[in-house]
Amino acid sequence: MEVTKDPNSNPGRFEGSDSELELYTIPSSSRWFAWDEIHETERGAFKEFFDASSISRTPKIYKEYRDFIINKYREEPSRRLTFTEVRKSLVGDVTFLHKAFLFLENWGLINYGAPGADVEKEEEEELCNVRLEEGTPNGIRVAATPNSLKPMLLPRVAKSGGNASGASLKLPPLASYSDIYGDLIRQKDGKCRFCDAKCSSGHYRCTQDNFIICANCFKSGNYGEKRSAEDFVLSESSENSGKHDTVWTEGEILLLLESVLKHGDDWELVAQSIQTKTKLDCISKLIELPFGELMFGRTHRNVNINGANGIVNNAKQVQSSSSDNQEISKSKDQPPELTNENEQNGDSVKESPSKRHRVAPLSDSSSSLMNQVGLISNVVDPHITAAAADAAVSALCDENLCPREIFDFEEDSARALEGEGLEMERSSLSEIPLPLRVRAATATALGAAAARAKLLADQEVREIEHLVATIIEAQIDKLLHKVKHFDDLELLMEKEHAEMENLKDSILTERIDVLRRTFRSGTTRWKDYSFVKS
Amino acid sequence: MKTPISGFYRNPVKFRMPTAENLVPIRLDIEIEGQRYKDAFTWNPSDPDSEVVVFAKRTVKDLKLPPAFVTQIAQSIQSQLLEFRSYEGQDMYAGEKIVPIKLDLRVNHTLVKDQFLWDLNNFESDPEEFARIFCKDMGIEDPEVGPAIAFAIREQLYEIAIQSVVSARESRMSKKGRRGAEYTPISKGGAVAVDLVKLFGPKSSVVRKRKEWDVYEPIVDLLSNEEVDALEAKEERNFR
Repeated sequence: MEVTKDPNSNPGRFEGSDSELELYTIPSSSRWFAWDEIHETERGAFKEFFDASSISRTPKIYKEYRDFIINKYREEPSRRLTFTEVRKSLVGDVTFLHKAFLFLENWGLINYGAPGADVEKEEEEELCNVRLEEGTPNGIRVAATPNSLKPMLLPRVAKSGGNASGASLKLPPLASYSDIYGDLIRQKDGKCRFCDAKCSSGHYRCTQDNFIICANCFKSGNYGEKRSAEDFVLSESSENSGKHDTVWTEGEILLLLESVLKHGDDWELVAQSIQTKTKLDCISKLIELPFGELMFGRTHRNVNINGANGIVNNAKQVQSSSSDNQEISKSKDQPPELTNENEQNGDSVKESPSKRHRVAPLSDSSSSLMNQVGLISNVVDPHITAAAADAAVSALCDENLCPREIFDFEEDSARALEGEGLEMERSSLSEIPLPLRVRAATATALGAAAARAKLLADQEVREIEHLVATIIEAQIDKLLHKVKHFDDLELLMEKEHAEMENLKDSILTERIDVLRRTFRSGTTRWKDYSFVKS
Repeated sequence: MKTPISGFYRNPVKFRMPTAENLVPIRLDIEIEGQRYKDAFTWNPSDPDSEVVVFAKRTVKDLKLPPAFVTQIAQSIQSQLLEFRSYEGQDMYAGEKIVPIKLDLRVNHTLVKDQFLWDLNNFESDPEEFARIFCKDMGIEDPEVGPAIAFAIREQLYEIAIQSVVSARESRMSKKGRRGAEYTPISKGGAVAVDLVKLFGPKSSVVRKRKEWDVYEPIVDLLSNEEVDALEAKEERNFR
């Protein structure tokens, strides 16, 4: 059995988010399939769609057919999808639709392993030559309903990084999804406003909002039960800490930090001194705190460089989440250039949510600096991270005259960070002095963030171009309409003009007539003139 | 925003059944001395005409009809084939043409209602195959339903083909008569081709809106014996 990652999937996904992604089984022979492109196999099978010979046969229309059929099947993969079911929802020649349907079925993209098939294969055979594909196609493209934009953005801001990247990939371009629940949710307006038109991803926000209502919402749906259940659990775990008894006031946090300093890792004592919290709460809160892990290291190894300062800073970080990098770097006596950069970094982190809402989780207060470094470096390609780390290390060497050997470890660890995760790094870094570690990591993060920002900027530029094109098109449309309007006006004017001419003529003849009659009746001439003059 | 249309679609198509197999739908309804014979089937127009008489004799013998039926059946088939052949060799239509096909028929106890689009330029289309899948997907067991659906499709396609031959001829004549004047004859009947630009243009999606699904959803009903009897009596009244 072969498990491959979807090419679209974010390399920075954490292990935890894997359970969220849907897996679909397709035959290994259909590995060519990708949501966002049309493969040669498809081009070969449907030549008429790619020679631009017809308006009802274009690649776009083929792709719409294909995506719809596959999505329709995946709404309920255990059930066999029939052609007659599909064709009622698609506009087009039924003969061709059947051809496309058969094509997809033959390749196992639909109805693969569904019961009732006349191609029922043996279980073993299926097991040995299947591959699992994540059902995470090309992002959110369905945003047709106007109010769907807001709810889609909300969950991502609130969630932690791995989940958010999962969420952005979660939505296939399902026209059917949005349509199916459109009516249903409108009825429940006010209650369930978060899972507006798209319930396929609704479960995230549902749990945030009020999960009871949205559980109903899922129950009424006839697909995705399993998925919604998973998400439900996930969201709850992340939300419970903020919702229930485990809300930490600032005073409690300070108390916690002090008692940890005093008692070290004797959690019984720590919990006693805090009183309002259990032992477990204390541990989890400390881990959640920024630099919680580093404090562990200090208390364990007594490598106390500037312990009290650091802890005060930590307490501050709890209040000011996005500026924590700054605080730390100042306390570590950074050279001014780096601090400046850090400020920029903090700004970019702050700005980023309004941009694309993808880096938003980075500014989450609950993650430590190391976590943030990991996150930032994971949103870009590994080689970019490596380059950034390299640059950071050499810069540090230049200004500090530090032996380069120290950082040879670090470079390894940077790679380890890309591969394995944070634990590896921490263990391998234990020999290097803390400030250097922090600065190298910060610089790495900066580099990675810069690379990421570049990508985002590019995307933004593309989007703007697209919008401008749309605007221009609309303007042209408007102009055309105006021209047409003017043409109409001109026509009207001409008609009126002709009418006027006619009227003139008739008045003239009338006048001549009147004149003639006055002549005949023998009225004097001067009276006539006076008539004309008056 | 018109996509260029290549040579294939611009060339007028010579008249034929717009399906993979050039089979003509034949409908028989003959009544002699109180005995009524109704039937519907397809015929290959390139078969030799002697087959018609053979077929008629065979049918009469199998159904144990009076011998007077033989000539009637043969004549009816023959005249319908002649009508078909009279259109052969003429231009049918140029360009793309997609028409809606509507089914509304009753076969024994099964009532079928459906509508879908059919591309007249797609000569791979196969009404019989379509009907077979329809019956399979809808779980129809009556073996007579499939052929009846296929026949209904063929009949409509045949009618549309004839209409387009007539309208193609008319438009040619009108072009000769009134030079430059743009005059498109409105084809009679409900089978007007759909607006391709509207349906398939770059601005529209080929996925139907949710509320339209029901309109295009096939409906299959199984009638009880009483309902069938009532319907048949009604049809009988209408016939007389």
